[in-house]
Amino acid sequence: MSNVIIEVKNYSWQYINTSEPALRNINLTIAEGDFIGVIGPNGSGKTTLAYSLDGLIPGQYNGIKQGEVFVFGKEVEQYAKGDLQRSVGVVFSDPEAQFTAMTVEDELVFGMENLGMSIPEIRERLEWVTDLVNLKPLLMKPPYEISGGQKQRVALAAVLAMTPKIMILDEPTSMLDPVSRKRVFEVLEKLKKEHRNTIIVIEHSLENLIPLADRMVLLSNGELILEDETPRFFQNMPLLLEKSVYPPGALLFFYELMVAGYSNHQLPLTLDEAEKKLKDLIKNRTLQGEQQ
Amino acid sequence: MNKTMLGYVPNESPIYAVHPFVKLFFLLVVSLFPMFIVAPEWNALLMVVVLILMWLSKVDIKILRIYVPVAISMGSIILISYVIFSGNHPEYHLLVQLGVIKIYWERIRDAIVVYFRILPMIVTMVFFLSTSRERDVIVAMRSIKAPFVVTYVFAMALRSAGMVLEDFQIVRQAEQARGFDTTGKPLPYKIRKYVMYMIPLFALSLRRSEEFTNALVARGYAFTGEASKVKRADYILTHYSFKPHDVVLTIMIGISFIALLVLKYGFGYFGLDTSLLTIWASRVIG
Repeated sequence: MSNVIIEVKNYSWQYINTSEPALRNINLTIAEGDFIGVIGPNGSGKTTLAYSLDGLIPGQYNGIKQGEVFVFGKEVEQYAKGDLQRSVGVVFSDPEAQFTAMTVEDELVFGMENLGMSIPEIRERLEWVTDLVNLKPLLMKPPYEISGGQKQRVALAAVLAMTPKIMILDEPTSMLDPVSRKRVFEVLEKLKKEHRNTIIVIEHSLENLIPLADRMVLLSNGELILEDETPRFFQNMPLLLEKSVYPPGALLFFYELMVAGYSNHQLPLTLDEAEKKLKDLIKNRTLQGEQQ
Repeated sequence: MNKTMLGYVPNESPIYAVHPFVKLFFLLVVSLFPMFIVAPEWNALLMVVVLILMWLSKVDIKILRIYVPVAISMGSIILISYVIFSGNHPEYHLLVQLGVIKIYWERIRDAIVVYFRILPMIVTMVFFLSTSRERDVIVAMRSIKAPFVVTYVFAMALRSAGMVLEDFQIVRQAEQARGFDTTGKPLPYKIRKYVMYMIPLFALSLRRSEEFTNALVARGYAFTGEASKVKRADYILTHYSFKPHDVVLTIMIGISFIALLVLKYGFGYFGLDTSLLTIWASRVIG
């Protein structure tokens, strides 16, 4: 594996006044430039994992920690206050919860000001991020008065503007309509291709996540159940279904075909792949029919 | 139309040419004027001046209508507390005695004086809130080099006020949807059941505080440690510049305040003894 930047070793976390750990014995390694998809049912510990990687846990929460979380080779607890967050950006699932300013523009520059950037640098990055996420018409509006989709784009842009080396997005499209959802993933695709950011996305909307994710992680009940490269990850369909993960329709359709013996074990991950595979399948079946 | 803290002001309003500091300075200084003016007619004149400024700024004067009930009830409370509960004052001019209640002319006069001191302050505040956004307050404070933490805490206080109101609406609607509604019920019942709104609202506020702290930490903000020592650029201020007309306006406001003090303490203006309104009223009453 190339340049490991996140290493989670035997990590468990239990919030104070709770009877069960939110995360149990997690082992995970993430390399620079990786795009990781984290999935799992509600309450499986996804957000706790995100907070643990950003140092919000244990920094802002009380609880019992076991094991270690290394980011850039240093245990998160050894970072000075505010240091780790300069390299690791988190987009929260509730965008309104992360707004700290009176206008969208102030919101976008707040993080950059905290990093100590100069005015020309801030101006340049502000222009870049507003173009990237298409926020120009909203700059002067209060962030709490815009629509849910716009809020989520602002939340994403505010973190993007800080250009952290690692970006963690906790259900970044939970409030979005399908078009806006696609737009967010287009931005993430751009970041992956052009900027080689390490991106960790916690998401329920798998049809957008799967084509981008290099690797997938399944959490359930605080445990890391499965972690693999995306194509191999979805070979474990019975386990995924058992853990209430419902893959996109095309993937599920080919899984059913595979179980019935009509298709091989190579499941298509995208709609385009599914279309091609289906055409090949029909063509092969037709040929077989003609030969008989 | 641009949204302000209290309504909307059209884009072509000349108020946008005024630096936020001047607006805040106007609020702070002009609100002090009634403290030094006793004569009700001068305070009424001040109120008229502020109303003219509102009209010139293209603020919809109709918004003042919502303050009429407040003004009436405030006036009534002042009048009752000064006149009915005034006590026994043999040195005052007794107008009428209703049982144990003695009504003196001086107490009615004092009630009018107090009322006319409060009204211009309210109108000045309404003018400021109608022509400013939350950001203007922050810019005004930062332009006089107020510490970032102070301006930030102030900004968050402003924002939180709106959020609490929003949350209150959400809680109320959620409870109405589940059959709990105090609409049309007697006041004691409403007061008793108010706790049904307050507890979830309090819990929501606690959660908001936690989320907000997380957001600040996640954005690299630190109150202590090395990260807090970073020299911050103030990007917002780059949108604003203090122009010559702002200097003129600031000087004018300052001079008018000094003039007020000179006229009051040097020449005895604005006092009750020279108040034409009270002199006329006392003559009418005899």
